[in-house]
Amino acid sequence: MDLENQKRVKDASEKYGAENLVVLIGAAEAEAAGLAAETVTAGDPTFAGPLAGVELGLRVYHAVEPEFKDEVDAQTYDDQIGMMEMVLNVDEIIEEMKNIRTEFCKFND
Amino acid sequence: MGKAKVVHYINQFFAGIGGEEKADTKPHILNELPPVSAQLDKALGEEVEIVGTVVCGDSYFNENLDEAKVEVLDMIKSFEPDMVIAGPAFNAGRYGMACGAVVKMVQEELGIKAFTAMYDENPGVDVFKKDAYIVRTKDSAAGMRTAIPAVAKFALKLISGEEILSPAEEGYIERGIRVNAPAEERGSMRAVRMLIQKLKGEEFVTEYPMPAFDRVAPNQPIKDVTKAKIAIVTSGGIVPKGNPDRIESSSASKYGKYDISGFADLTEADHETAHGGYDPVYANLDSDRVIPVDVLREMEKNGEIGELFQYFYTTVGNGTSVANSKQFAAEIAKDLLDNKVDAVILTST
Repeated sequence: MDLENQKRVKDASEKYGAENLVVLIGAAEAEAAGLAAETVTAGDPTFAGPLAGVELGLRVYHAVEPEFKDEVDAQTYDDQIGMMEMVLNVDEIIEEMKNIRTEFCKFND
Repeated sequence: MGKAKVVHYINQFFAGIGGEEKADTKPHILNELPPVSAQLDKALGEEVEIVGTVVCGDSYFNENLDEAKVEVLDMIKSFEPDMVIAGPAFNAGRYGMACGAVVKMVQEELGIKAFTAMYDENPGVDVFKKDAYIVRTKDSAAGMRTAIPAVAKFALKLISGEEILSPAEEGYIERGIRVNAPAEERGSMRAVRMLIQKLKGEEFVTEYPMPAFDRVAPNQPIKDVTKAKIAIVTSGGIVPKGNPDRIESSSASKYGKYDISGFADLTEADHETAHGGYDPVYANLDSDRVIPVDVLREMEKNGEIGELFQYFYTTVGNGTSVANSKQFAAEIAKDLLDNKVDAVILTST
């Protein structure tokens, strides 16, 4: 996750409180999604950005995960994300995201 | 004895200053340890302390080598350290070159211990592995979590003055140094066993790995360049505007072949670079700076070369694996031969 976005997430968590934030990720690969998710939970794994050593433990989901998909209008989801959902390796992304949440998320609900 | 003092050398990215756009950052001492140094300091435990971090932009270091080396050395010296750790640089080429140069210089000029850490394919490895210990890391900064404990472990061993064992035991990259060691069995026994294992198709570990020399024999010179068909091949990432084949800005998985028969001059309107490893502004303004189509057209017109081949081949060299590069090169070379191209101009960034 680039330095600017790390700063935005950090600022938002200070302003609204980590417990009131959900990070939604749209990366196209499981590895990239996992790195972004790790950054907003366990801290920047590269130790270069504002979230280095900052364990926010935020709730984090990928746009293809059921937790997000079931919350939004099915027609809109299909229009906006349906196409990408077909070409992405959804199972791999979900598994990666679950692993990160289990290990690092501080809000287990 | 007090704590052992370590100075950490890093680039602009790990200092949190910025990416490629800040690669011209001049050498300076950070007032506060950046997160990567703080993390390493924690991993080093109670007996060893990082007393300061020196940062330098990768472009600045490599483009102003002589001045940068003096400046960085003076800053390191000001801490009177017992050891210097540079990196880890992972697969970042210019960062790896800088880390290798810093380590070599510190050892030679200050006479203190120093080492760095990188990925096997970092160009810094080939250049500096003979001069320095280079702890093996993964290819991207995402491997920092595993790199830090490995670097810390090696640092503690090196500073303790204990004997550094083999690369496999200590986790550093082979330096091409042979060491005498007693063996249980005599050589003939071991050799015959290996031979039998090889004949059976079983796995075995050689005691003397052959170095892989990647030497290319030069071709015969061009007899008459005024009749030669010349092609351009580049790793500088020049592509038609919009990057139609989506060549990746780093770690490229493909190359492109594009028609330049209609171009006497590349401009901002029609070409740009896909490369993510250098400041793209000047290449985007005028791609002739990376692949000199304008000059070659002139030479073609003046009869100084035979002709410029209709297509150019392009990829992004930034972090692209050696294996991918070899595969691209084999395919491109075959295509060049099929099209009776006599000579190639290779340009990088």
